[in-house]
Amino acid sequence: MANIEILLLVLAIAAIVSYFLTKLNTMLGSIFTIFATMFVFVSLAAYGTNLNLDTTVSLFPGLTFSQTYLGFYFVIIITFVYLMVSFFHPYYIGEYKYKDSYNFLFLLSLVGIIGAFYTSNFLQLFFFFELVIWTTMFLIPQGKSKEAAVSYYGFSVAGSIAMLLGIFIIFQQSGTFDISTGLAALSGTPSVFVFALFLIAAFAKLGVFPLHIWLPIAHGNAPHPFSPVLSGALVKLGAFIGVLALIRIAPQTAMINAVGLPIGQYIVALLGSVSIVFGTLMAIKEDDAKKLLAYSSMSHGGYILVAFSLMNSIAFAGGFYHILAHALASAGAFLAIAAVARQTGTTKMSELGGMIHKMPITYLAYLVAIISMAGIPPMGGFISKWLIFQAVIDKGMIFVGIAVFFGSIGSFLYVFRPLAALFLGQELSEYKVKVKEAPLLMLIPTVIIMLLNVYTGVFPGAILGYTNKVIMELGYPAINVSTFAITGFNGVLSPALISLMFGVGVAIAFVIFIVLKKSRKVGLMDTYTAGNFVHDEHLFHYTKDFYAPLERLYEKHSTKMQTFYKSLANKVKELGRLGKHLFMSKYVEVAVVWIIAIIFFLLWGEIL
Amino acid sequence: MTIVNVLLGVGVAFFGFVLQTSIAGINRKVIARLQKRQGPRWYQEFLDIFKLLSKRSVSHGWIFDFGVIMALGGIIATAMFMPLTSTFSPFGASDNFFIFVYLLAVGMLGMAMSASGSGNPWASIGVMRALTTMLAYEVPFLVVVLTIIKLTGSSSLSAIQLFQQTSGNNWFIIALPIGGIVGFLALMGMLGKKPFETYIAPGEIASGPMVEYGGKQLGMLFIMHEITVFIEVSLFVHLFLGGAHNILEFLLKYFVVYTFANLISNVNGRFKIDQVVKFYYKWPLIMAVFQAVIAIYFGWVI
Repeated sequence: MANIEILLLVLAIAAIVSYFLTKLNTMLGSIFTIFATMFVFVSLAAYGTNLNLDTTVSLFPGLTFSQTYLGFYFVIIITFVYLMVSFFHPYYIGEYKYKDSYNFLFLLSLVGIIGAFYTSNFLQLFFFFELVIWTTMFLIPQGKSKEAAVSYYGFSVAGSIAMLLGIFIIFQQSGTFDISTGLAALSGTPSVFVFALFLIAAFAKLGVFPLHIWLPIAHGNAPHPFSPVLSGALVKLGAFIGVLALIRIAPQTAMINAVGLPIGQYIVALLGSVSIVFGTLMAIKEDDAKKLLAYSSMSHGGYILVAFSLMNSIAFAGGFYHILAHALASAGAFLAIAAVARQTGTTKMSELGGMIHKMPITYLAYLVAIISMAGIPPMGGFISKWLIFQAVIDKGMIFVGIAVFFGSIGSFLYVFRPLAALFLGQELSEYKVKVKEAPLLMLIPTVIIMLLNVYTGVFPGAILGYTNKVIMELGYPAINVSTFAITGFNGVLSPALISLMFGVGVAIAFVIFIVLKKSRKVGLMDTYTAGNFVHDEHLFHYTKDFYAPLERLYEKHSTKMQTFYKSLANKVKELGRLGKHLFMSKYVEVAVVWIIAIIFFLLWGEIL
Repeated sequence: MTIVNVLLGVGVAFFGFVLQTSIAGINRKVIARLQKRQGPRWYQEFLDIFKLLSKRSVSHGWIFDFGVIMALGGIIATAMFMPLTSTFSPFGASDNFFIFVYLLAVGMLGMAMSASGSGNPWASIGVMRALTTMLAYEVPFLVVVLTIIKLTGSSSLSAIQLFQQTSGNNWFIIALPIGGIVGFLALMGMLGKKPFETYIAPGEIASGPMVEYGGKQLGMLFIMHEITVFIEVSLFVHLFLGGAHNILEFLLKYFVVYTFANLISNVNGRFKIDQVVKFYYKWPLIMAVFQAVIAIYFGWVI
């Protein structure tokens, strides 16, 4: 019987040990990190699946833990992403400026995550959230830019503060910090406030419109092996808060009869829709592969929010499955890009080309990941999108429908972009010699994630069975799932059948292909050039402004949000300058007067 | 699911190929008459494809070949789920509408991958245009289909056909006239007919994705194209024209729809790619939303 407290303690000690080991030898410390994460993952998977973890507290009185299916579902996905990513550490962290602390902070953030999902107390939840934010904040600037960390931290803290205020309101009404009793006791107007505050936290963590601006900055500039953690794991904390707000709190607001949803939920669904469309459009015009995937995370965050706001089991199942499918897909895609970036030193698509010839396995991993991301069978993303479509159509939500359809077709466009520009096309001369396939240790997680992407798409039955437990725990009826079929509102989906038929189709095509005459192999430059003599691969590789005709249509609107946040930042700076002027002037008396005035005001409030 | 279903499915895919290739041949004759020419024989398309399959060709690497196999495989798999009449469907109730939209995408992705893998920028430009066009026509179409599924309560194509064939219910092209127009405009885009033929554009980008192909790869892509057209036209027949009671009715409706689309195509010029996007996001989308609102929220269905 594993004890959650011991598990956290072991992990925290492992974090400290990894610091010294990494200081000694980067490779050694990273290998140790792999084993530490593996230990945690295995213990959680072995004992947590059926909620068999021991949650009694003996060493740290004051902490309280409890376990739920909901928490476990999140924690196992996130820990899995951590485990997969840790395999990449040995090859990357040697280059970073503060490499000794990298593994330390990485493991410590995992402590925060496990604590956050197993705690039964709101204040501890807040504490563990802050632990995650504070540790990851020091991981991000080890990549390309320090600004990224500032932006990440700013939005995360805004979310945390909102959550803390919500927690205080809950405490005011219920008199307890316990999560389940607190949420149960919540009612009336305070519940609307808590709903809104928790949603701000969820939006900020999930990177959903209008609090999305940090997402591309942080994802794009984070260290290569950390971007998959951000996108696949950390933003899912926001989804967790979203579940608390949208499903557990779900305040009684006025109903919109046409779509059968309370107005609060409907607004969230609309904001999720805006996020889907906005993320898709921004991803289409992005040149940096990692930022492109970041915008796609934003759009998928929108899907998750839409799913959780629809108030029925099918949608919830879709949302929970989408969390898993997107975690796997985005981790797979980011890891593939990381492997390419390690070989070439860039993630800009306009500078890359023809990687497939040297890195075929990485290419296949990326291909499978994007098929899932685009929601095409036979991968996991299709199942979740199908469930979400079912729910949206059943509610007859036209405008949300436009957004989810647009996002799903638009995702074909943006995921194809790195495929065409980075992996396919002409093999650029500068990469012909020095580029190699990723080393074996990096291929292990790549292949595992690839297989899981396929598994989630072919046999979703077992996992949907588990999400059913989560849904029932939340007080909704289970959805109808058998091993080979999922029953939605308006149809039955048999993923295994679709995959099998896809196999049959490919087999037929393969037979046709193989019985016909063998073709002669020619080079990539031996192509139709309309009579021109093209001597350089760079001239013959179409990557820059890939969707130029489409981009032209919305180009001038695409910077609006950035401008808004920039001016907001300026306003904050001005405010800061005012504060500086008032308190930090060379006259000490002025500062003293202000401090006395503030103390006076505070006391006044206390007396009233 | 038994082996019989699989064989039936493969049979439907093969039937679709033969049907569409013949009808495309007949249509070449129809168009020729329109332009006061004699036109080729109706089986000319078969000859073209078999000639291509028998020729020796070039390959630009494994992804070039793999993409072609994936394209044809994906499309065959999609066609295998297609019901022909309201009572004949290879896999029974598994003919879910979304399978057709998304499994079709696997084939498209295979082709796009293969084309980009050839290293020719024209191919990439063609793929870019094809995807952009897809983004344009798919959203209005899906909004109309959302309305249909909401009204029938089922996304199974057989069930949608049966719903329209029940006495008292009209075909959806009559019940939802505005949506029907949108559906047809989207079909034109799906088929890549003029004025939405931006991604093939032979005179402009050298046939786009097809530029590097020859021999068996091109032959296979032709087969893929014919089956794709079969799927798209059948979707329209089943969704809007009440499906079919028997195979003859299906053939008739199929022929009418395809020929009509082809006739419109032949008296039109070609849009620029951004014009296509603007076009679809203007009137068809507005019409689709209007239709959806009055049908779902007000219940005004003829």
